[in-house]
Amino acid sequence: MNISELTANHAQWLNGAEDRHGIVVSCRARLARNLSALPFAPKATVEDQEQVIEQVLTAAQRGHLMNSASFFRMDALRENERRLLVERHLVSPALAESKGQRGLLFSRDESLSIMINEEDHLRLQAILPGLQAENAWAAVNALDDELGASVAYAHSDKWGFLTACPTNVGTGLRLSILIHLPALVLTEDMERVTRGLTEMAFTVRGFYGEGTHPVGNLFQVSNQSTLGVEEDRIVEKLTAITQQIIACEKDAQDALLKEARAQVEDKVWRAYGLLSHARVLSSQEFMNLLSAVRLGYSLDLLKQLDSAFMNRLMIVTQPSHLQMENGGEIAAEERDIYRAERVRSHFATLASEESGQS
Amino acid sequence: MKCEICHKNDATTAYTHIVDDTKKTLLLCASCVPQNEEKKKAVPRPKEDESTQSVPELIKKVKVEFNTAGPSESTENTVCQGCSMTYKQFKKVGRLGCHQCYTSFAPQLERLLKRIHGAEAHCGKDLVEVGTVPSPQKALEQLRSELKDAVDREEFERAAQIRDQIRGIEVDAEGRSLR
Repeated sequence: MNISELTANHAQWLNGAEDRHGIVVSCRARLARNLSALPFAPKATVEDQEQVIEQVLTAAQRGHLMNSASFFRMDALRENERRLLVERHLVSPALAESKGQRGLLFSRDESLSIMINEEDHLRLQAILPGLQAENAWAAVNALDDELGASVAYAHSDKWGFLTACPTNVGTGLRLSILIHLPALVLTEDMERVTRGLTEMAFTVRGFYGEGTHPVGNLFQVSNQSTLGVEEDRIVEKLTAITQQIIACEKDAQDALLKEARAQVEDKVWRAYGLLSHARVLSSQEFMNLLSAVRLGYSLDLLKQLDSAFMNRLMIVTQPSHLQMENGGEIAAEERDIYRAERVRSHFATLASEESGQS
Repeated sequence: MKCEICHKNDATTAYTHIVDDTKKTLLLCASCVPQNEEKKKAVPRPKEDESTQSVPELIKKVKVEFNTAGPSESTENTVCQGCSMTYKQFKKVGRLGCHQCYTSFAPQLERLLKRIHGAEAHCGKDLVEVGTVPSPQKALEQLRSELKDAVDREEFERAAQIRDQIRGIEVDAEGRSLR
């Protein structure tokens, strides 16, 4: 696949399945792996990195799951194109920005991917829509089995899979969900939830993971420990915890609606109106308005749209997506106009679908 | 009270020793008191092996454990046999240089990992042996669940691709079983 084709590609993880009242966007399982024959990232030469890429590509070819995958070399891409991959959650900001020979291998529906030469030689990722921790783990586990049969992983009997950073050693599994919690933010309960999660060895992060801030009330919740906890246990725990968070969010939403129905409805419909008609939209404003609309969907106030619509819109209106669609660099102000146009046209299709149905 | 060096036998002697110009009193068992220092010195031994370190080195280590003021020089200067990274360098960058670092820095990492994860050993997935032909079963299961999802969501183009992939694997597997 060509990188410019990506903007029109429908990533499976955005399709809105298992969204639990529109609260859970996606679920991601990531495995950190290294090849035992080559030095880890801090000591790897360019030749070593090349070897990692070569061995992984060969292994992927031999398997069934990634033999028709697309491959990008990071150094062959422009900065904007690398940012586009970050916006699609295919690569981490670290892989996009670091130096050296790095690569990305990903399946057509973007549900399976491999970052090559990030902090570890390999970061295998499965990303699925909604709360599907078990399926995401199963998918990445199958990919791991295929690769592990071709390349020798760095491993010790005592400490399991060996990683560059000791925080990932053991299973190497980081399981996370992307979750929308507007009511918990509004009722200022997020801090309490975060504290509770930390006590249970789970971390709350921003939209793009490590070191990023929450945008549009979206949070990433992931397991902290990778040593001494079996993968299945991590899956169970994250699923149970997510169900609890959903229940808390739902309670807070219902309480809001009960106490201030008119204000909540007004907030939702104003956001809907602005998104449908605004002429200039900054990224921040768009994400906040989208959050209000998503809340409306969660509360059953808005029935004309669904999670897939909102998720896809959220991705195609990111800066690098807009630039790519526009055929090159555009200044921030111009981008805000272009974003508003994109959003308007999407909302217009909703309106026309609705009038077509009635 | 257990001996402060071997942590096994009961301490029977209060042993006073000067380390870095400070007087230090340790409670030691009979086999760890200084007369052993001479015997141990007589046997040539590799430097990095903890079990055969000389008494002054061990005392230094004990001092570290007790003061927790800072790591000793010998700990900091441990060099990985595989990639020549020192423990000090690791502490600076926070990333290890190769898989052998885990062996070279084992004692230090043991403590660190326990602190980070609250656990001492891995449990979970095992290493797949290299060279094993991966059973297509897992891949098939995975693809079938993807196919179902694609059909449910009426994403027919994706469904067709997945179906082709499944057929490919099945043909492959049949060929293998016929051989």
